[in-house]
Amino acid sequence: MSALAGTRTILGAEILALRHRLTSRGKARLALLTVFLAAAGIFIVGGAFSLGAGAAHFLPTAIDPLLVGGFTGLSVLMLVVGFPTVIATFFVGRDLLLLTLAPVRTVEIFAARLTLAMAANLLISSILLAVILGVGAGAGAPAIYFFVAVPLIFAQVLAITCVQTALMSLVLQWVPARRARDVAALVAGLTGAGLYLAWNLSLRQSLGARSRQDLASLNTLLQRIDWLPPAWPGHALSDIIGGNFGAAAFWSALLILVCAVLLVLAAVLYQRTLLAGLGVFGSPQAIWSRKARKPDARAARGNPSPAFAIARKDWLAFRRDIRRLSRLIPALLFPIGYVFAVARPSQRTGGFWTEVFLVGFMSMFMATSLATPSIPSEKRGFQILRMAPLPMWQVLRAKILLTLPPVLAMTFVFSVVVTMVSHEAADRAIELAILVLWLGCGFVAVGVSAGSIDPRFDALDDRRAVGLVGTLAGLGGSLGFGLLSAGALALFIYGGDAIGGASRLGPFPSTPQLGALMWGTGVVLAAGSLAIVGFLLWLANSRLRSNEVAVANT
Amino acid sequence: MTSSAPGASAAVEARQLVKRYGVITAVDGVSFSVARGEIFGFLGANGAGKTTTLRMLCGLLTPTAGTAVIDGIDILKDPRSAKARMGYLDEEPFVHPHLTGREFLNFVADLYRMPRGTQREQRMQRLLGLFELANRDGELIGAYSHGMRQKIGLASLLIREPSVLLLDEPTNGLDPRSARLVKDLLEELASRGTTVLLSTHILEVAQALCRRVAIIDRGRITATGTMDELRAQAGSEQASLEDLFLKLTAGPESKELIERLLA
Repeated sequence: MSALAGTRTILGAEILALRHRLTSRGKARLALLTVFLAAAGIFIVGGAFSLGAGAAHFLPTAIDPLLVGGFTGLSVLMLVVGFPTVIATFFVGRDLLLLTLAPVRTVEIFAARLTLAMAANLLISSILLAVILGVGAGAGAPAIYFFVAVPLIFAQVLAITCVQTALMSLVLQWVPARRARDVAALVAGLTGAGLYLAWNLSLRQSLGARSRQDLASLNTLLQRIDWLPPAWPGHALSDIIGGNFGAAAFWSALLILVCAVLLVLAAVLYQRTLLAGLGVFGSPQAIWSRKARKPDARAARGNPSPAFAIARKDWLAFRRDIRRLSRLIPALLFPIGYVFAVARPSQRTGGFWTEVFLVGFMSMFMATSLATPSIPSEKRGFQILRMAPLPMWQVLRAKILLTLPPVLAMTFVFSVVVTMVSHEAADRAIELAILVLWLGCGFVAVGVSAGSIDPRFDALDDRRAVGLVGTLAGLGGSLGFGLLSAGALALFIYGGDAIGGASRLGPFPSTPQLGALMWGTGVVLAAGSLAIVGFLLWLANSRLRSNEVAVANT
Repeated sequence: MTSSAPGASAAVEARQLVKRYGVITAVDGVSFSVARGEIFGFLGANGAGKTTTLRMLCGLLTPTAGTAVIDGIDILKDPRSAKARMGYLDEEPFVHPHLTGREFLNFVADLYRMPRGTQREQRMQRLLGLFELANRDGELIGAYSHGMRQKIGLASLLIREPSVLLLDEPTNGLDPRSARLVKDLLEELASRGTTVLLSTHILEVAQALCRRVAIIDRGRITATGTMDELRAQAGSEQASLEDLFLKLTAGPESKELIERLLA
C-alpha cells in the first residue's frame, strides 16, 4: 500500500457521499441548481476579473497594493469565516471516531481532513483568482504570471488552513471542541462586523468628495502591512509584472518555506490532539450543565397557549445557542455601520427614496436572518409539533409572532436614525415608519413561509436548513413583495401630491383625477403584494401539513 | 391478516395500511387492531416497516392507501382529535437540547393545552421523581445522557395522560433498573385503561408485557395473535417467541449463515 492510501480511502468516501447527496436531489432540482450556480459563477467571477483588469489598466501604480490587499483580504476572510469549518472538519465529525480506531496513520487522517477543509477556502479564493488574472490581463503581464498565480493562491490557502488547525489544536487543550466551534462562530461574526465598521469609519471616511486622499490612506494602510506573510504572494506577482523575477522568486520561496513550517506544525499538533483524545471524543459535553433553578412561578399561571409555548421555547433555545446568537451579530451591527456611514456630513443619503431602499433592505436582511430558518431549525423537534393537536397555521403564526418584534424594533430604530440624520420632515418620518411596519410584517411572513416550503430538518447547520426551492421562493417572494410595496408607496405619495396640485409628473398634468388614479393603482399594487404573502403562507401551510419526505428524514 | 381484540372495542386500528416511496413499498397492506387497555407487541426485524407503520398510525406520515384509526377517530379525517388522545415516542425521541427538563415538560404540556396550576405541577414533579430526574430538572437536556433523554421523552408523553401510547423501542438505551421501571409502568397504565402499542425487537420485553403480538416482515404482517395462536400458526407447541419470530420472518438459519461465513 502506498504512503497515503488511507487518505485516498477517506477522500473517496467523502466524494461518494457528496455524489449521493447531489444525485438524491432529483434531476430537475439538480439542473436548476447547476444553472443557478453557473449564472452566479459567471456573474461573480466575471465581475471580479473585470474589476482586476480595469484597476490594473487604469491605475498601474496601484497594482502592488491591489495584489497585496487581495491576498491579505483573502487571508482575513478565511480566518474570519473559516474557523467553524476547520473545527467541524478536523475535530468534531463523528466519523473521526471510526478513523482513529482504524489502523490509519494520523498523518493520513490529517492530509484527508486538510484537503476537505481547504476545499471551502479554495472556493472563496476563486474570486481572488479571478481578480488576479484580471490584474494580469489588464497590466499585460507575462505568461509566467498566470502559471504562478494559481500555486501561490493554493499555498496561501494551505498556510491559513494550517494556522487555523494549529491554533485550534492548542485551544482544544482547554476548551471542548463543540464549544470552541460555537465560540469561533461568535468571534467570526464579531470580527466580520468589526472589520466592516472599521472600513466604514476609517477608509471610507471621506470617500466621494476627496477620493484621492482615501486612496492614499488605503495605500498607506497596505504599506504598513506589506511585510506580513499574507502580503508576500502579492509582492511576488507584482514583481513578475514589473519584470523583477529575482525578487518574485525570493517572495515565492519565502512563502513556500512558511507553508512547509506551518504544515509540519499543524500535522504535529493535530497528531498530539488526536492522541490525547481531545476533539469530539473524551471532551466535556457540548452543552454544559446549568445550575438547577427553582421553577418559574409565572409559568404556572394563566391559560396555556400552544403558539405562546412555541414562541417561549424558541426564545429560550435561541438565547442559549451561541451559534444562532452569533448569526444575529452581523444583523445587529449592520445598521450601526450604516448609521456611521450616513451620519457623516459628507455622506448625505440622497433623499427619501434612498432611505426607503435602505429601510427595505434592512427589513429584508433581518427577516431572512431570523425568519427563514425558524421552521427548519426545529429539526427533529418538528415531530413534536406535527404530533401535537394543533393546525400548522398556528405554528406558522407562532414563528411569525416571535420573529416580528426584533425585526420591527431594529428596522424602526434604524429608520428613526436615518430620518433624524437626513433632517426629513415629520410626514416623511411617519411614512417611513408605516413602511417599516408594512415591510416588516410582509418580509417576516415571506421568510417563515420560505423556510416552511422546503425545510431540511436533517440539516446540522441552520444555514443549510432551507433547500433551493425554499431559497428561491424566499428571494422571489421578498423581491416581489418589496417592489410592489415600494411602487404602491410611490403612487400614494405622488398621487397625494397630484391631488394637491404640487407634484411634478413630467408631461402629465397634476390633477386630482390623476392623483385618484394613482391612488387606485397603488391600492392594486399593495393588494398584489399582500397576495404574494398570502399565497406563500398558504403554500407553506399546505407543505407543512404534507411534507413527508422531510419528516421521514428526521 | 386481521385479528380483532376479543371483548372490547378497538383503540388502535390499522386497516390495510400501505406506504410506498417511489418503487419501494415499505408497508404493504398492514392490518391489525388493539383493544382498549391492551399492551400489543409489534415485532419485526430492522427495516421491516415497524417505524413507518407507527408513523402512519400517529399521523406523521400519510398512508399511500388504507386507514389508521385511534380511539375510533380516523387520523386523516380528524387529526387534531386523534392526536389529542395519543402519545408517540420515537425510537430516538427528540428533546430540545437547549431547554431544561422542566421547561421541556412545560412546553409539551402547553402544546396540548394542559391547564396550568398545582395539579399539573404535581404531576410533573411525580414524573420527574419516578424517572429519577427530579434533581436534574433544572439542567439543559443537552447535558443529559442518552438514557435520561429517553426518560424525559417518556415523561413528556405521560404528563398529558394520553389514552393511547405508541412506543417505538421505549427501553432503548435504558439501564436495567429503568427498563424494569418502564415495563412496570406500562403494565400499570394498561390496567388503568391505557392502550399501548409497543414496537420492539427485544423479544423478552414483548413476551413479558404483551398478551398479543403482530409480526411484520418486509412490510407485511406474517402473524398476529396470542402466543398460543402464534404457536398454532407455526405448528410448534413449545416454541418461544424468539423461535416463532425467527420462523415467521423466514430467512436462512443462523447456523447455516455461520457455517457459510466460516467455510
